[in-house]
Amino acid sequence: MKIIVTIAICFLTAAGMYAGDGKYEKAMRKNLSEIDSARDVGSMLDVANGFERIAFAEKDKWLPYYYASFMYVLSSFADTTAGKKDGYLDKANIFINIADSLEEDESEIYVLKGMIAQGRLQVDPMNRWMKYGRVANTNFEKAMKIDTLNPRPEYLQGVSLYYTPEQFGGGSAPAKRLLEKSLEKFNLFVPDNDLMPNWGRKTVEQMLEQINEIPEEVKEE
Amino acid sequence: MKLIFSVLFCSLLPALLLCQTKISGKVIDNSKQPLPGANVFIKDSYDGVSSKEDGSFSFTTEEEGNAFLVVSFVGYQTKEESIQLTGNDINIEIILEEEARELGAVVISAGSFEASDENKAVILRPLDIVTTGADADIYSALETLPGTQQIGETEGLFVRGGSAAETVTIIDEMVVQKPFYSSVPDIPSRGRFSPFLFKGIMFSTGGYSAKYGQALSSALILNSQDLADQTLTAINLMILGLGGAHVQRWENSSFAFEGGYYNLGPYFNMVEQRQEWDTAPIGLEGSINYRLKTSKTGMLKAFGSFNYSDLSLFMENLDDLSAKNYFGLRSDNYYSNLSYREILGDDWALFAGASFSLDKDKYDLNTDKVNQNEILNQGRIAVTKQVFNSSFITFGGEVQNMIYKNVFNELSARLDEVYLAGFLEADIFFTNDFAARVGLRGEHSKLLGKYNLAPRISLAYRLGTFDQLNFAYGKFYQTPFKDFLIQTTDFDYENASHYIFNYQFISDERTFRIEFYYKDYDNLAKGNLFTPPFILPAVPLSNDGGGYAKGVDIFWRDRETFDMTDYWLSYSYLDTKRDFINFPGLATPTFATPHTFSAVIKRWVSSITTSFGLTYTFATGRPYYNPNNPEYLGDKTKSYNNLSINFSYLTTVFNNFTVIFFSVDNLLGFQNIYGYNYSTDGTVRRPVLPTATRALFLGMFISVGQASPF
Repeated sequence: MKIIVTIAICFLTAAGMYAGDGKYEKAMRKNLSEIDSARDVGSMLDVANGFERIAFAEKDKWLPYYYASFMYVLSSFADTTAGKKDGYLDKANIFINIADSLEEDESEIYVLKGMIAQGRLQVDPMNRWMKYGRVANTNFEKAMKIDTLNPRPEYLQGVSLYYTPEQFGGGSAPAKRLLEKSLEKFNLFVPDNDLMPNWGRKTVEQMLEQINEIPEEVKEE
Repeated sequence: MKLIFSVLFCSLLPALLLCQTKISGKVIDNSKQPLPGANVFIKDSYDGVSSKEDGSFSFTTEEEGNAFLVVSFVGYQTKEESIQLTGNDINIEIILEEEARELGAVVISAGSFEASDENKAVILRPLDIVTTGADADIYSALETLPGTQQIGETEGLFVRGGSAAETVTIIDEMVVQKPFYSSVPDIPSRGRFSPFLFKGIMFSTGGYSAKYGQALSSALILNSQDLADQTLTAINLMILGLGGAHVQRWENSSFAFEGGYYNLGPYFNMVEQRQEWDTAPIGLEGSINYRLKTSKTGMLKAFGSFNYSDLSLFMENLDDLSAKNYFGLRSDNYYSNLSYREILGDDWALFAGASFSLDKDKYDLNTDKVNQNEILNQGRIAVTKQVFNSSFITFGGEVQNMIYKNVFNELSARLDEVYLAGFLEADIFFTNDFAARVGLRGEHSKLLGKYNLAPRISLAYRLGTFDQLNFAYGKFYQTPFKDFLIQTTDFDYENASHYIFNYQFISDERTFRIEFYYKDYDNLAKGNLFTPPFILPAVPLSNDGGGYAKGVDIFWRDRETFDMTDYWLSYSYLDTKRDFINFPGLATPTFATPHTFSAVIKRWVSSITTSFGLTYTFATGRPYYNPNNPEYLGDKTKSYNNLSINFSYLTTVFNNFTVIFFSVDNLLGFQNIYGYNYSTDGTVRRPVLPTATRALFLGMFISVGQASPF
């Protein structure tokens, strides 16, 4: 009897371990936990590959596509080889478009679309600012419209303003306004569940710190 | 003991129940180089791994039975291998094929320069057109590329010994009958279309595709923008006039309208002109532009423009220096273009287009009145079918109906042309390194009552990641000028054969290209055109002309060596002789010179948000007709030099993004002479000079409500 019970338990454990339902969340959580530690292009692509595998197996879930796209965007920012950036962004674009077709009117998807445009711009600013600057802003505005509480559009706009010359309303002062607004939203932001996008807060805090340091240096001089 | 056994058994149970298969191997490319970072996984499962630095991979899966091993990698075709998961180890080597036409794959490119903002290696970017030269004109920017001649006295692209009439301009697959504003003697006119309308520009200096015809030398193929990026209002203030535009963007469509008024009077008062103007050029123009995304892959484009211009001037009468010649020109031009593209199913693509244009020119030549009206209706349909991998075939047809009326005082002439053409072209990628484009074009002209059949072939062979060899051959037909056809339609097609061989190196930041060509002209039309200054004995109308052009074009562009600086150098060598129009025999025409050199330098200075551009051009002298020299076209002008600069200052005005553009053409004031005009008896001559030694342009382009483009 004991044996039967033990074996039964074993079976249940085995069944539980490989049950379809928790498997998705588990795999996603594992990959999400790897995002932060992925510092070089190689490990970013590893994580991207992980999400891509989940995406292809699930097919109707937008989040794995979203994260695969996100990792390719990060790779394009991280890779310094001139010719490679566009290739990553092409792939990021394919994935985000699939995500977009699976989930209508998702603010986070437009955030990422804007980020891809920022990546395109970065490859060849002189020739691309006219087109991709606008594409980025249009997407961020749409993201804000869909979800006024999403902190990420202001975060990314703030970062790009920070690197924009002052003649165009860029520089640290207007960037600071946006980043502070973003931080306010981060303070209120609660993702629907632990798989939903929840990145960017740390960078906002770091950038604000950096901006706030500058006036002191000026005073010292 | 029993218990221990059963626990042990249990802990092994999951493994036993779900048999594990270990899959390992290596991912490599065609040349056996390892591909690190490739995604290797079992289809429809989460099981998989990224390949390591040496391309190797290894993972286990609990899946069983028939499965597919998928391998995907950026820039490569995804591969699926059928495998059997039985618990036995699997070792497999995966060879990935590069995705064709990605960066690094062979590109069919003999004879052509491409400007595109798609993300691939091209020679130019659309923005280069705006920031090159002094006048933000497509055609003057292209004149900094090898293969073109520096012709200052008239408009048009003179390519490799060909006349301007041998270059065709195509917008969204359809011919533009009047790409330039109407012509004034000894003064070049500008291109009619703004470079901002286009997302892609392909300039072929020879050997172009069978999709196009009716140009012996060259084709300029322009692709218009898709949906506008955003809603925007623009105000343009220029030294020459003012304009405005509004663009409205909706989810799947956009609409733009634009209007402008220009008057060169104030500018002519400021910068002294050589001509004696009666009415300085004034003009009024407007355009509308509609885009509709009909589906995920479908796009409908409609463009219409209207333009009115008026000008008149007095010109010296070399036969009677006490009198003046009067030249007045009023023009109306309507142009419209409607096109539709859609992808059908997995591997079919459809293009359908129609275009209507009407051009009315009213000339006042002293007491004579000349009216020229030209209507062009055209329709075009083309279908592309993907055959295998990246290879595809395109076939289609076009019809053009041209009605031309020329009224000289009481005399009038009329031409009704119906031109039909069909084409078939295959782009075949044999391997990633070797591709061919083979095409055939057939044409029929109602006026000539004749058919022609033109074969075209272009080969490309990739040598390494960045460099390739190209070869092209093609036969090109063109119906003789209208000025001949109103005299008689008893003509045959003029034709040219092109032979092109090129080597090119294109990396992200550097481009080198050297191209050798030979062009054989045959059946060129001969006879007298009713245009000055050629006043020679009557030449019988015939197709007895011919000639040749041969030479080398060299291009170098570098964006890497100097920080924030981009420069390119072009050199053309041209040897050409032809017998056409009223030439007594083979001679080098007035629009050809052996050596042409251009240098373009651009620098972006971010601290003052200004882009500087500098264009220098040198060309050896060109032949001109001297009635006193028994050798026809035996005289040559002195060489040509021009240095032009431009600045684009990016700023904000009342918080609206603004570009201030300033340019000076011929900054150093070189005294350039384009040729000479003679009196009928040859005793009086005058040089043909630019309208002013220097030309200035100042403009301010404001985007209302847009604080920053970044």
